Amino acid sequence: MRVACLRVSDLPLAAELRAHPERMGLPLAIAAGPGPRAELVALSREAVQRGVRRGGSVAHARAVCPELQVRIASPALEVGARAALLDAALACSPRAALAPRRAGAWAGEAAVFADASGVGPLFRSEPGFAAALVARAERLGLPADAAVASSRNAALLAARQLGLRSASPRCAPQLAARRASAPGPAPLPGRAGGSGEVLVLAPGSEAEFLAPLPLDLLDPSDALAQAFTRFGLRRVGELLALPRRELGLRLGREAQALAARARGEEVETPLPVPEPAALAEALDLEFPLDLLEPLGFALQGLLSRLLERLEARHLACGELRLELALEGGGRAARRIGVAAPTLDRRVLLRLVVRCLEASPPAAPVTGASLETEGIPLERNQLDLFRPAGPSPAALGRTLNELEALCGSGRVGAPRVADDHRPEAFALVPFRPGAGEPSPPPGRAGPAASLALRALRPPVPAAVQLRGGLPARVRSAVANGRVLAAAGPWRTSGGWWSRESRFAYDSFDVQTSDGTLARLRFDHRAGRWEIDAIYD
Amino acid sequence: MPRAPQALEALLRDLGPQLRRGGAGDEVPPRLATGRPPIDALLGGGFPRGRLSEVAGPPSSGRTSLALALLAEVTRRGEVLAVVDAADAFDPASAESAGVALERVLWVRPRPPAGTPALRCAERLLEARGFALVLLDLAAAPPPRIAPAAWPRLARAAAAGGTALLALSGGRLAGSAAELALELRPARAHFIGSPVLLEGLEAEAFLVRGRSQAPHGAPSALLRTRAA
Repeated sequence: MRVACLRVSDLPLAAELRAHPERMGLPLAIAAGPGPRAELVALSREAVQRGVRRGGSVAHARAVCPELQVRIASPALEVGARAALLDAALACSPRAALAPRRAGAWAGEAAVFADASGVGPLFRSEPGFAAALVARAERLGLPADAAVASSRNAALLAARQLGLRSASPRCAPQLAARRASAPGPAPLPGRAGGSGEVLVLAPGSEAEFLAPLPLDLLDPSDALAQAFTRFGLRRVGELLALPRRELGLRLGREAQALAARARGEEVETPLPVPEPAALAEALDLEFPLDLLEPLGFALQGLLSRLLERLEARHLACGELRLELALEGGGRAARRIGVAAPTLDRRVLLRLVVRCLEASPPAAPVTGASLETEGIPLERNQLDLFRPAGPSPAALGRTLNELEALCGSGRVGAPRVADDHRPEAFALVPFRPGAGEPSPPPGRAGPAASLALRALRPPVPAAVQLRGGLPARVRSAVANGRVLAAAGPWRTSGGWWSRESRFAYDSFDVQTSDGTLARLRFDHRAGRWEIDAIYD
Repeated sequence: MPRAPQALEALLRDLGPQLRRGGAGDEVPPRLATGRPPIDALLGGGFPRGRLSEVAGPPSSGRTSLALALLAEVTRRGEVLAVVDAADAFDPASAESAGVALERVLWVRPRPPAGTPALRCAERLLEARGFALVLLDLAAAPPPRIAPAAWPRLARAAAAGGTALLALSGGRLAGSAAELALELRPARAHFIGSPVLLEGLEAEAFLVRGRSQAPHGAPSALLRTRAA
């Protein structure tokens, strides 16, 4: 089996620059926490060039480099970046899994393993496959390296070696420009399109490659590392040259396990095909926002990153779930319906903003997350035997734009609701080509059917009765003497619930101003109203 | 002036075939029948595709009944249509009783005040193409405010996509941008029987813009409706 490892060497920095590409090219440091004594855990190349050192304090770093920008490490951004790395791998291979998080010297790395078996027909070669992985990661805002080998461990070590070879932490000033100018699909196989490097270890050559590498790459524990130093072991080749039994007797099982991994002898479970899961992006705001415009700007970046990941997975955005963290610890959740799966950022952002305009959060917002279930883009084949309708792509775009104009839940195909309430109706997704349509009822004969125009909400009316029938009506839609009346008809239901119970006595009346109306007495509200006009 | 029409005819003759009359051009657009023979005869087969038409009239004049009859005919042929309901008055039960196949109807309900959003929705639908008919229901009380300049734009969008655009309103709104305009006036409501029931409504439809195709060029037709 062949495995590729796609690795980001400095996740906190990469996650920050993925969310804020405008900070690329600036001296930037990521701190473990707030305050001047916080430890710096990641540095941009520009910060290193100005003399800032990892592990130092924020205060010391600012003294060395006054223009240094310091950001606190964001777990929300790092989670999103790791998920995006997995998406990049799944864009090229059906089987992929994130590498477990590491502690110690490799705590800042993020890696994903992808199945590289049989990539020849699609990517021409393993270097082409690795280059495609790097290009995909770069399109998602993550500078990465990729290595292919016969085991996960060897691939990971090779990718680590690539990261150590180049300047670290990597910061690619051209990355923002490349992302902005590369809206198309991933580069062709065989051409390295990313800023990262690729390395392919031929089968059986792993040991030869690993031999001169430092033992630190194997990530030994502190105690074992000290033991290696005492015994004068510095290279992987020196460890592998030791007899296995004596290695275990002298240095313990951990050393044996390290050696087995370096030889590629560790038993590795097959890479899984991930279960479909919701895609989510989150961010923590620098300061609370209580105005919609800046919040919308922040959400725009969030939405862009989410859509990039969906596009990498060849999925479209369905219903959005927005969760806001509020000042004071509260949370607010919103569900934003999408009429048709789409990747149109402009339309989706308009839907999100309209939702917040209609239902603003109760307190300033300190963080936000957006989640969606990726939905395969619809591919409808038009029916030869039905008249052509709107193309699926145009219809999807149009439905989403209409929903942005009208609001969520106000665009769709009408249905008569299975409900005794006269005003009940349902609105379902408009899918004209889906399934066989029900045959419409026959025509009403030589006369057209007399239609009703609903009044939503019903219009209040003042009614004078005579002999139990309406004699005079005064309202905004019908006025005057009642020339003719039919009724009453009692409609009632929902008796089992205080909220849903209703009882109406309805009349069909013609008033002297020429209006034919459906007038009713609402027993629950105790008032007369007109709920429809015959037209 | 009695000689003016003759002078005009002579001028047109002299200028020859290079001169085109104003209007839609030589082509006769296909029609969407309403399924009501007197109305279809008056309209020359129905409402024209790719053109803006108007149906205007006071409440209870049969506008909506005529519109639903048209919707039923369009969906019966398997085509899809859209209803931009600025008045939020569309009643699915009525439509189903009239024979409309609801799964082929896209119901768009702009929030009030719905004038400008309704026009934008109509434009989007016309640009999407593929809809046989877009019904723009503006028959709300009070009527939504529509800029006069919007109508020629809508008419052009309808022509570009070949979609019939029908505006329903209390009074004429589209002016000369509409190729065809029908005004409905209520004639009689029928209450019959014991107990008394509303049987139906009669209305008279007048062609106020467009050339009458009815026998003998009659400008009106009777629309009869029957309560479900």
